[in-house]
Amino acid sequence: MSSGELEAGRRIPVPAQETRVEADSPWRIAWRRLRRDRVAVASGVFLVLLVLAVFPGAKLASVALGHGPDDLYPYAVGTYTLKPDGPWTWVPDTHALSPESTDTQIAPAPKGTPDTLLVLGADGPLGHDLFLRLLYGGQVSLEVGVGATIIALLIGVTLGVLAGWLGGLVDGALARLTDLVMALPILLILLMLGTGIGDGLRRFTFWGLFHDGVVQLMLLIGAFTWYYPARIARSQMLTLRNREFVEAARMVGARGSSIVRRHLLPHLAPALVVYGTIMVATALMLEVGVTFLGAGIQLPTASWGTLLGQQWGSALNPTVTTPDNFQPWPTIAPSAAIFLTVVALNQLGEGLREAFDPAGVR
Amino acid sequence: MPAWLPYVLRRLASSVVILLLLTLITFLAFAKTPSQPASFLIDVRYATPAQVEHARHVLGVDRPIWVQYGRFVWRAVHGDFGRSFRQNRGGFTVTSSTGTPVAGEVLRAGAVTGGIALGGAVLLFLLSVPLGMLAAAKPRSVVDRAAAGVSMLGISTHPLVVALLLQLFLASKWHLVPQSGYCYLLPKATSASVYDPAASCSGPAHWASHLLIPWVVFALFFVALYSRMIRARMLEVLGEPYIRTARAKGAPQRRVLVRHALPNTVLPILTMLAMDIGTAVGICVYIEAVFRLPGLGYTTLQSMGGAGLDLPMLVGITIFTGTVIVVLNLLVDLAAVAIDPTIRTSPRSRSRLLSFAGGTSQA
Repeated sequence: MSSGELEAGRRIPVPAQETRVEADSPWRIAWRRLRRDRVAVASGVFLVLLVLAVFPGAKLASVALGHGPDDLYPYAVGTYTLKPDGPWTWVPDTHALSPESTDTQIAPAPKGTPDTLLVLGADGPLGHDLFLRLLYGGQVSLEVGVGATIIALLIGVTLGVLAGWLGGLVDGALARLTDLVMALPILLILLMLGTGIGDGLRRFTFWGLFHDGVVQLMLLIGAFTWYYPARIARSQMLTLRNREFVEAARMVGARGSSIVRRHLLPHLAPALVVYGTIMVATALMLEVGVTFLGAGIQLPTASWGTLLGQQWGSALNPTVTTPDNFQPWPTIAPSAAIFLTVVALNQLGEGLREAFDPAGVR
Repeated sequence: MPAWLPYVLRRLASSVVILLLLTLITFLAFAKTPSQPASFLIDVRYATPAQVEHARHVLGVDRPIWVQYGRFVWRAVHGDFGRSFRQNRGGFTVTSSTGTPVAGEVLRAGAVTGGIALGGAVLLFLLSVPLGMLAAAKPRSVVDRAAAGVSMLGISTHPLVVALLLQLFLASKWHLVPQSGYCYLLPKATSASVYDPAASCSGPAHWASHLLIPWVVFALFFVALYSRMIRARMLEVLGEPYIRTARAKGAPQRRVLVRHALPNTVLPILTMLAMDIGTAVGICVYIEAVFRLPGLGYTTLQSMGGAGLDLPMLVGITIFTGTVIVVLNLLVDLAAVAIDPTIRTSPRSRSRLLSFAGGTSQA
């Protein structure tokens, strides 16, 4: 029986001449169900728009505004209070204080300096453009999220499939290893390793493809979050490996490796797509956390983690907030970006899960 | 020999392996980090090479990393976790390390973190049990749907975001609570510790006012998961025959929920708490960093920044955290077996929100 016939209320088209009925693939069924899930569709649209805004959009915005994300605007922060300017301010387009400034007296910018627009204001005491850094920082955060997920899935699926298929000693070893990694306080380990790894790996960028530190964070986060995909892959293997179709494949003489590749891995894909989506959100949150605590992406590279800490300072070098330098936007803007992205990823993952669920009715 | 003893012994043995690996990772990270531990003792810019070498010898970092690790394990087995690299007094002619003993420092920091986590857990319980019960009493009602929506948002919010925004508005703008810092619950006579920025104030009132937002942040992070979990478990329990019996006897809804159903939902909550201890440590790191509370996470950050890696402190924190996680997990597992001999497999329900994996039903 094809899965298509199980769909409630769906009429199966009967061609006039031919009587063959095409079975819908599970992917097609899932796609049809997903399109009907309004929350999931909205999340998907949001994520597509976000990627467009962050990757090509950042460059466009930078060209349109006439400055870059790492440009410093000393006149965009309060003269003595260091209070960053709020949204939609025009500031003198100069990267240095006026030469007439002395140690005690800061002179206004020289007459005739053109102004430039900071759409969301300045990002903290340094006076970068918050809007541009939000877009460029999105590149870094999304790259880390997606990259770490891919690494974790690669490690996890390989180990999980091996353990589930081979069983016995391999399975036992993986179970111990999983227990071990799960027992680690991941954040503390990431902090130590993040500080511990030298500049070599931090500077490795795949020849300019990524920003500084992105590859390092991808590897670190991926290396400590693979256990969940591993468990999913293993449990799937255990339930599948004694099913009739595997037996049949074996009977016609298929080798183990080809059974795994041709017959078992396709069954894993939906679960991994679902879990991968949610894992991107988890990895992104870890990037924000590790970077905020000072062991991830380093300034001047923008990421949502560095942005969140800009106005707040660092754990050891705090910026004390007083009524004089109170400016909520540098905190609110990256907070909103992180929140919306994570909500969208989680909701999309949830929608995918329901769409792929064979027991689902929608 | 009681029946549970071999189980406990096996668990403990495997946790010793975990602890050894954890400390080894810390040592290797230290060995790979370009840092100059001698700068804890002397000003390396002006010191002669001989003085630097002497300082390294005093700190014990002149040996190969494997020898250092071996010596550390040997001493730790004998109950000595060494002294912090950070010196109480410096100078070029220091003959022995004057750093604070790690054990005391870690216990003090552990108490701070424990205060955050315990207070947060109490608040979490006070929030999530009524919320879960209300939602379970009328499934698919407005309350239930609202709770589900709020939970979805709660799960997607980074604890750092919550902490920073609460600090920004409640503390910095409206001055309802202190912005950051810590006060000890019990007055301290003297505090010679260099890790101790808060020795100026003490007492329950100051203590609680500094920990109020941290508790809220802690509870808000977990409340989504827990209220949904309690709801799912409660719905399950409410379908059991003994609940029907209770209702048939004429017990009012309130009594059915609180006296009959609630006790049976406690066990999975307990198990879940234990599984989340690792996560809770992570949340506490964020909270301590934002509010500058001298707990384990903040001490870790301090031991990593500034002069260089303070290896003995880092290792001490690692061991302490690892031990606490392992022991609490073990205790909860034993308690769960004691409460319910027919222990179920997984306490995490597979409700819409909670099932992060979702893959097990694919087959």
